Amino acid sequence: MRDIIKMIIVLTIIGAVSGLALSLVYEGTKAPIEYQTIKFVKEPAVKKVLTGYDNDPIADRKKIRIGEDERGKPIELIIFPAKKAGATFAVALEGKGKGFGGLIGVMVGVSKEGRLLDIGITSHSETPGIGSKVGETSFTEKFKGLATDREITVDGISGATYSSKGVMSAVTQALGYVNTFNKEIF
Amino acid sequence: MSIKDEFTKGLWQTVPPFRLVLGLCPTLATTTSGLNGMGMGLATTFVLVFSNLFVSLLRRFIPNQVRIASFIVIIASFVVIVELVMQAYFYPLFKILGIFIPLIVVNCIILGRAEAFASKQNPLASLADGLGIGLGFTISLFVLGCIRELLGSGTLLDIPVMWSSFEPFAFMLKPPGAFVVLGILLAAMNLISQVQARKGGGR
Repeated sequence: MRDIIKMIIVLTIIGAVSGLALSLVYEGTKAPIEYQTIKFVKEPAVKKVLTGYDNDPIADRKKIRIGEDERGKPIELIIFPAKKAGATFAVALEGKGKGFGGLIGVMVGVSKEGRLLDIGITSHSETPGIGSKVGETSFTEKFKGLATDREITVDGISGATYSSKGVMSAVTQALGYVNTFNKEIF
Repeated sequence: MSIKDEFTKGLWQTVPPFRLVLGLCPTLATTTSGLNGMGMGLATTFVLVFSNLFVSLLRRFIPNQVRIASFIVIIASFVVIVELVMQAYFYPLFKILGIFIPLIVVNCIILGRAEAFASKQNPLASLADGLGIGLGFTISLFVLGCIRELLGSGTLLDIPVMWSSFEPFAFMLKPPGAFVVLGILLAAMNLISQVQARKGGGR
């Protein structure tokens, strides 16, 4: 009997000390991990759609509340501002649209005057060689310079209609955020 | 054995992938380049050193019946620490090593050293043992990774070194390539040992 109690106590203590140590390490690495994830996953797209800034859009990112989910938790949108001499002249933000193989994430650069600067695909699971063509410059550059206050339509890629429409609806979603939350974003 | 012997035995006599032929899964999977192999080796060394140290410190406190469970908890904690720190500061390496970082928990080198060595020896000897075996593992993975990188992508530590018309053979970057290189290195090490033993016998 005494052996069993000793086993339980020892295992409990080891488990509790490990748990405590891990929660401390988790808290300590939380901020750097978030930064690294954004830096390596989003930064290439942010750099593609924004030009001519003198700040670090990743470090200057801000979060705005765009609504609540069904459990009352706030849904946040991350905005990457491009600044020159301290003034924001453009932002990058991500929109999602339904493509052929799931959601397509698109980073969208928008200038303060309401022009589409450029788009970059951040994530997709479209068919390689067919739907994946939406990531090519020949398609993404069609979005350059469009006005943001009307519906976004460009010529789709033949054979990849669903994927092209997915990108368009992702861009439309991102622009919808810009129009709705314009004050918070700029 | 002295502390120095405990340390140096991991570098040649019992170097894990070649002599003990343990820990082959990460050895074959993560050595597509010298730096990847070294990253995996260092992560494993960190876990090995600290799990050895703590298992040894707690060896009188842990009842025999629950020792394996206790070792696993200790090892798993250090693996999660490695995973979080790597994700926070070495994100690209973390992406490449991926699933093989959490899998360090079930790496038989680590549990093997905890069970066979650290649970019976004092902390200092266990520390030396963990450091020696860990460095041996790291060097093995680094050498294996460098050879595969050189032949498979024509670079060494990400710097192109081969002549311009060199056609890299992609086979080396695939798991069978890892087996071939491992086999050749193993044979070479056995040959050296044999020659040494013969010399020793002739004296």
